[in-house]
Amino acid sequence: MKSPLFSINEVSFKIAEKTILDHISINIAQDKITGIIGPSGAGKSTFLRLLNKLISPTAGQIIYRDNDLKEMPSQNLRKEIGMLQQQAFLFPGTVKDNLLYGPLIWNIDYSEEDLIQLLAKVALDSGYLERDIEGLSGGEQQRVSLARSLANQPRVLLLDEPTSSLDISSEEIIEQTITKLNEEGVKIIIVSHSLEQTERITDCLLFLRQGKMIEKSDTTEFFSNYNRNEIKSFFKKKEEK
Amino acid sequence: MAVIDEILSNLTNPDLWIRLAFASLLVIVLIGLSLWKDTKLEKKIIWSFARGLVQIVLLGSILVLIFGIEQLWILYGILFFMCVFAAYTNYKSYPYPKTFRINFIGITFSSLLIMTFVIFSGAIPNFNGIVYQASNTQSTFGSFVIPIGSMTIFFAMRQTGLTLERAKSDILKSRGEIEAALSLGASPTKAIKNITRDAFRVNLVPTLNRVAVLGVVNIPGLMSGMIVGGASPIEAAVYQVVIFMMLLCAAFISSIICSHFFTKQFFTADEQLNLEFFYKLSNIGKEKKK
Repeated sequence: MKSPLFSINEVSFKIAEKTILDHISINIAQDKITGIIGPSGAGKSTFLRLLNKLISPTAGQIIYRDNDLKEMPSQNLRKEIGMLQQQAFLFPGTVKDNLLYGPLIWNIDYSEEDLIQLLAKVALDSGYLERDIEGLSGGEQQRVSLARSLANQPRVLLLDEPTSSLDISSEEIIEQTITKLNEEGVKIIIVSHSLEQTERITDCLLFLRQGKMIEKSDTTEFFSNYNRNEIKSFFKKKEEK
Repeated sequence: MAVIDEILSNLTNPDLWIRLAFASLLVIVLIGLSLWKDTKLEKKIIWSFARGLVQIVLLGSILVLIFGIEQLWILYGILFFMCVFAAYTNYKSYPYPKTFRINFIGITFSSLLIMTFVIFSGAIPNFNGIVYQASNTQSTFGSFVIPIGSMTIFFAMRQTGLTLERAKSDILKSRGEIEAALSLGASPTKAIKNITRDAFRVNLVPTLNRVAVLGVVNIPGLMSGMIVGGASPIEAAVYQVVIFMMLLCAAFISSIICSHFFTKQFFTADEQLNLEFFYKLSNIGKEKKK
């Protein structure tokens, strides 16, 4: 049996006297797309940011592929564990400047052809390469942002509600890219606002509420089990919206 | 004793009193205008004029004392005191964690470095230094070290304060971009490179523009003052350019040092955003607005 991708032991995170995550213990498997769901303020994004060391737990331990995250150099870890945020946060300049941001740090050689292939992964054509980011739509910006993360050739990709502000076609493209990346061996952990999306693309789900891990199960099992009171009330809340 | 003699000879100079008498006539005109327009500022005009006169004469007397100083270590001591005061002033305007210490290091290092360069350039044989004796009206060591030093320190203080404030507000606004850069493996310095670059640029460009329009749009006060004081216009012009370059250099060095130490506080040793510091600064900003 493969060792877990992440092993999270009694992890808590507090800031300004407020507990965001409370004693979470969980293993995240290597070979599945893991989804994280929960109501607003449940600590989903915080949980994700712990995994590439954008923040550190105030208590507990995170093990990544048998290494204590605390002992791993942050920069190297973040090259290996890429992240896509809710907003694109592109840097000023062209699409090409953005794609090359990571490779220039890590001395990864990219030819023009490689960059075009990278764009193709997110369904953008070569014409975008020299375009200024100012003229891109929200969906295009998020796809460039995904391609920028992929340029670092990460082994794990953390996605924080990557399609929350996108139209349906951009959402579809990003979902297809995510599924394809997983088939190519990139491990995916995704925070999602949409139960439908998690049902479509994830294999296993973590359900967080008020900083606590309420449930971990296979996605199909999770959706057939939602008569459990807390999860049911969460679904209702989402439907009312 | 020579200094006291100089002060006394200045005060007994009839020209001085005639000048003051003319100035008093203008005060009378001001009072007349005030009465005419019913501003009820007459008492304030008299009080301000009298108080300002006493203060400025006292300052003049102190300057005569300071300008008479020839010992370099005392002059450095006075410049050092000015740097402490400048750092404190910036701290009061921008009351962020460690700003006094950071400003003190930046302003003192840059200003004293530039002043040392200025002072010791005078040691080159057959050369009077890049500033010293550029004007024939100056005769003592203190009379050039203190005014030039004060300009340098003031400029470094102002530019550094503006740079830190700009860097602070841009970092607070750009959390997403900074974390995006960190997520790609950028170091904290690289992640805020655009922000610090803009902070330097926005404060240096106006001064560089002032240099660029020298003589066409702008005849600076210092040059005008020297010409009125009897210096040759060409000498005054070169002097002005040298002063501008000194000021810019001191300001840039101070801004670089201070922004380095200041922005470092935004990150942890693990190359993460220091969220506690982040929130603390956001709250200071909100309190200031209130």
